[in-house]
Amino acid sequence: MSNSTHDKVLEAGEIARLLSYFIILIASVGLFFAAYNIPTSRFETLGAGAFPQIVCAVIGLLTMFAIVDSLRKISYLGYGRFYTEVKAWMHRRYLVFITLGALALYILVIPIIGFSIASMIFIFTVQVILMPRTTKSIVIAFITALVFSFGLNWLFAEVFTVFLPRGVF
Amino acid sequence: MDDFLIGATQIFTFSTLVYMFAGSIAGIVAAAIPGFTVTMAIVLTLPLTFAMEPLQGIAVMLSVYVGGYTGGLISAALLGIPGTPSSVATTFDAYPMARNGEPGRALSIGVWASFFGTIISTVVLIFAAPPLALFAVKLGPWEYFSLIVFALTIVGSLVGSSVVRGMLAGLVGLLISTVGTDPILGRARFDFDIEMLQTGFPFLVVLIGIFAISQLVSEVEDAKNIRSGNSLVTGAIDFQTWKVFKEVLMRPVNLLRSSILGVLIGALPGAGGSIANLLAYDQAKRASKYPERFGKGETDGIVASEAGNSATAGGGLIPLIGLGIPGSAVDAILMASLMVHGISVGPRLILDHGDLVYGMFIAMAVASLMMLIVSVFSMRLFLRITQVPKWAIVPVVMTCCVVGAFALNNRVTDLYLLIIIGIAGYAMRALGYSLAPLVLGVILGPIAETNLRRALMTDADLSLFISRPISLIFLVAAVLSIAWAIRSHLKNSKTTKRTSNESAS
Repeated sequence: MSNSTHDKVLEAGEIARLLSYFIILIASVGLFFAAYNIPTSRFETLGAGAFPQIVCAVIGLLTMFAIVDSLRKISYLGYGRFYTEVKAWMHRRYLVFITLGALALYILVIPIIGFSIASMIFIFTVQVILMPRTTKSIVIAFITALVFSFGLNWLFAEVFTVFLPRGVF
Repeated sequence: MDDFLIGATQIFTFSTLVYMFAGSIAGIVAAAIPGFTVTMAIVLTLPLTFAMEPLQGIAVMLSVYVGGYTGGLISAALLGIPGTPSSVATTFDAYPMARNGEPGRALSIGVWASFFGTIISTVVLIFAAPPLALFAVKLGPWEYFSLIVFALTIVGSLVGSSVVRGMLAGLVGLLISTVGTDPILGRARFDFDIEMLQTGFPFLVVLIGIFAISQLVSEVEDAKNIRSGNSLVTGAIDFQTWKVFKEVLMRPVNLLRSSILGVLIGALPGAGGSIANLLAYDQAKRASKYPERFGKGETDGIVASEAGNSATAGGGLIPLIGLGIPGSAVDAILMASLMVHGISVGPRLILDHGDLVYGMFIAMAVASLMMLIVSVFSMRLFLRITQVPKWAIVPVVMTCCVVGAFALNNRVTDLYLLIIIGIAGYAMRALGYSLAPLVLGVILGPIAETNLRRALMTDADLSLFISRPISLIFLVAAVLSIAWAIRSHLKNSKTTKRTSNESAS
């Protein structure tokens, strides 16, 4: 039983890979034609667009090979199960999505509220989400958040003369 | 000789030595923390070195590199978890030895073996790199283009689980490198009128996104694991430094064999410490009179693994200095740091900047000595570092990544690129693409393109790529590496099919 669930997960992974091949293929075809419009020069045989075109062409060929190879591995039933398997996969790794989302939000607010405050909130929040919550670990999280936000900002400004975004305030 | 002395005077200044010392500590600390790789540590050191002299910056990064290979040993020996992929084989014997009540001896053996491995590889580097560079200066753009094709195919086929995905990652890297202005005429490419893309993808941002962000995110995949703490080996630890020094030196054959193996593997593009330690261990086991003792705490096993992985540091620098082709992701970062200082890396490096190259050799030796001193005197402190929980590390290092990505150009748009690349990198990692070929593709892309176009500007005849003998050799080698990879891939899939059939019946 556990063996067949394992197979299902593997198959869902293969379908996800197949999708990634299609995305790469479409991107390479698109860029191939985009590179076509880059003006060439009278002074050389190859223009600025030639090298990207060569790379896109090789990518295109390789993905088509990969697509054929991967289609052979996937059973007909696999596609029906794909959605549920992906949902289960995402559910198992929910912390990954929370962390990435927090990082994206953090980067977006840096220019507005400044590096120090944004980092302080980011580090503390993510640590609290990830940790086994005890009083001691929350205190540790608070201290590390303080050191690596205001402390890091100070270090870079004073020692390396790199000035991190201060925000609009 | 003059260059040697100039290089030496630059290394042996107080400030450089202090920075290198800090680098060694940082490398050991970083690699000792599970989930924090050597590559990540070097990527994050890079922005700190912008303000330094070129040689000073490189020396610091080499110290982090050398220290990092040793730091992986600590968690490998005490927790049985390799701190970095390069110390997988170290866990086989160092961990049982530590469990048998000799954790100090296990660590000492590893430290000494690493030290000798680095020294031996530096000696080989000193003798191998200059002749290679003299030979490489004579190569034309045809040979260079073919060499890069070869380097990328071998990286794609060696690293990771799938040849096709390895190749695709390398090609995607090449494609990423074409965004922005073209290297010969400066025409805009693929910017789609988005300001962020007009200057292309900054290499450092790609590196941090690919190697640090995606790696950090994958550390929090397992919700249960991250919320529990690992306990260390407890009790008194006796390092027996000098006794072990003699014990390690009493195994010159193993030491030499493992180090040379490490150098050779390090010099191959794509293969690095993560392969060297396993191969060296395997060879030591085959050559041993007592192969049955391996895996139960055998000294030779630790010596082979640690000497092997440390020796790849010097080996990887051979193609970098000799040809201007980085052998691994770490070497690509070293190359990027030289380029940030406006030094073009190639076979002429040793002719134009001899002091820099000899300085690098000296820095390697000094770094390994520092690593030794730091490890011997403060190993006890580092034992505590392995206890740092992942929940504390991940967000803090992410903040450091953000600072690093920002510090290069002081552009907030680079941060937006960072998160996009980080997410794409994690998706690729989750789908089983290996990311090292991608990074090498990004750095080799402009070199490949420049040489291809220069070759055709000199002579429009395409057949020169196969009629010039050295160029032909590289191209044939590229085809062979693909063929070999496909063959072993088919063999593997056949055996797995057979075993799954057997288990089904």
